Amino acid sequence: MIEVKDLTKRYGETVAVDHLSFRVRPGVVTGFLGPNGAGKTTTMRMLLGLDVPTSGEVTVNGRSYRHIPAPMCEVGALLDAKAANGGHTARQHLAWIARAGGIPESRVASVLDLVGLTEVAGRRVGGFSLGMYQRLGIAAAMLGDPDILILDEPVNGLDPEGIRWIRGFLQQLAAEGRTVLLSSHLMSEMEATADHIVVIGRGRLIADTSIAEFTRRSTGSHVRVVSPHAARFAPVLQGAGAAISHEEHALIVTGLEADRIGALAAEHRFELHELAPRRASLEAAFMELTQGSQEYQGARSAATAVAPGVLAPTRMEN
Amino acid sequence: MTTATISANTRRMRGAVNRDTRFANTLASEWLKLATLRSTYITLGLGYLLSVATSAIVGIALGSTRDTWSGDISPITASMVGTVFGLIVYSVFGVLTVSREYASGTMRLTLTATPDRRQVFLAKLTLVTAIVTVAGVATTVSMFAISQAVFSATGMPTASFTDGDALHMVLGLGLAMPFFPIMGMAFGMLLRSTAGGITTALGLLWLPQIFGEFVPTWFQEHILSLLPSNGIDSVTVSHIESTPAYSAPLLGAAIAAAWLLASVGAAYIAFQRRDA
Repeated sequence: MIEVKDLTKRYGETVAVDHLSFRVRPGVVTGFLGPNGAGKTTTMRMLLGLDVPTSGEVTVNGRSYRHIPAPMCEVGALLDAKAANGGHTARQHLAWIARAGGIPESRVASVLDLVGLTEVAGRRVGGFSLGMYQRLGIAAAMLGDPDILILDEPVNGLDPEGIRWIRGFLQQLAAEGRTVLLSSHLMSEMEATADHIVVIGRGRLIADTSIAEFTRRSTGSHVRVVSPHAARFAPVLQGAGAAISHEEHALIVTGLEADRIGALAAEHRFELHELAPRRASLEAAFMELTQGSQEYQGARSAATAVAPGVLAPTRMEN
Repeated sequence: MTTATISANTRRMRGAVNRDTRFANTLASEWLKLATLRSTYITLGLGYLLSVATSAIVGIALGSTRDTWSGDISPITASMVGTVFGLIVYSVFGVLTVSREYASGTMRLTLTATPDRRQVFLAKLTLVTAIVTVAGVATTVSMFAISQAVFSATGMPTASFTDGDALHMVLGLGLAMPFFPIMGMAFGMLLRSTAGGITTALGLLWLPQIFGEFVPTWFQEHILSLLPSNGIDSVTVSHIESTPAYSAPLLGAAIAAAWLLASVGAAYIAFQRRDA
């Protein structure tokens, strides 16, 4: 269990993390999302005791990281996959890390095997591809067989096979009851990997919810209704609390689920030709939520084109 | 790969972890980190060879031109001329032990594995001191031995370790060798930069040579004498060859110690407090 409590980090005038609070639970893969510069990496560094919070705290199993007696056995971390001395072989790189944690040398071969790097164990890491670095970083994180894994952008630079591998790997770790937190600025990546997401923008919490809930709550979700009785059906729907807009022959209904709309149509004996829930893609929902929280915005119009309307930041607990 | 295989692969090592001797683990890890890098051997080897080769070549040059020398040359000081090359390269080694970790990003791995920064600091300090002390004494003893052999072959006056002055200088310079490398490590930690650390350490080392002996005597006595290199030389060299910039040995030792304490102390505080 990771617990972030009112965490704040300031660098002079800049606020990187702004009164952030959330929990990461065991047994599921939790995605940590936000645009570049949202404060994800800073939060992870504070979690690992590398950066000191300006205020607030972050604890791992109830203690701050610096006070864990054998930290590598509780938390495994991958912050920057390329953090390695190019002159070391993969085996040597893992060996010095293992020794720092008091972990037996035999463990090095096990984790190399686990990430599929056994064949290149004797090669200098300076010649590794980014994908190999990512696997090496995961091997280092797994050295202490930790119950909590923290990975910063682990799919960056991986080929499709590598991405598939890491997804399966993380889901298995979560299925074993471990806590897995992985950050990404790519929403589409989370859709396939995470069960739960924590979204931040400009250091503030935007959403803390399940993936399904996240898309459902987004205003981009609607139900498309085609009916020859549209003109009479619309006021009924509005009376039930829906918002209606028109699109050619169809009604675009927001605020009501498809089953409720169908029931209303049956009740009032309106004929339906089409009743289609349209889910906003996770990407669109993400863009909508983090709009205005991006540190650097390119063309603002590009973002608004994807998801019109600004949704007020919402806190969704489950 | 199935769930079962990850567990089978990992769960067996619990309990095998050595949690009790944390500093020993840190020290062993830092040692392994250096001992498995080719650049460690290249750097240290280069420092040793450059020093010994310089002393040997200068010895040969002195021997072959001795008829044209009017004054007498001390076979002790003449044998130690290569020291400065070792000092430069070993100082670079000291800077690199830290700055390389900031450049490659491994400092974060180091501090994630060992969150207690006092341990990491002490382990690095211990290793730089121990390694350069061994390398330093090996360097000065080798320089002395080779030079005396050259002097003897060319019919020059020689010295031996049974000579107290010779032993004092050879061991003194060897044991003082870690001084600048330790300061280099401290500057590498303060500046987090290889170039910055090397420039600062070597700048301090070279300052007396930059001013040379052309400045007024009072400036040498009161200003240059406060530089760390002159402080050290007051202890290791002044009993044979003195300049106005040298202090009494005890005062010189105090000056050098003050420099070491200030730079290492500042590095320690910065390392403790700064975000990694």
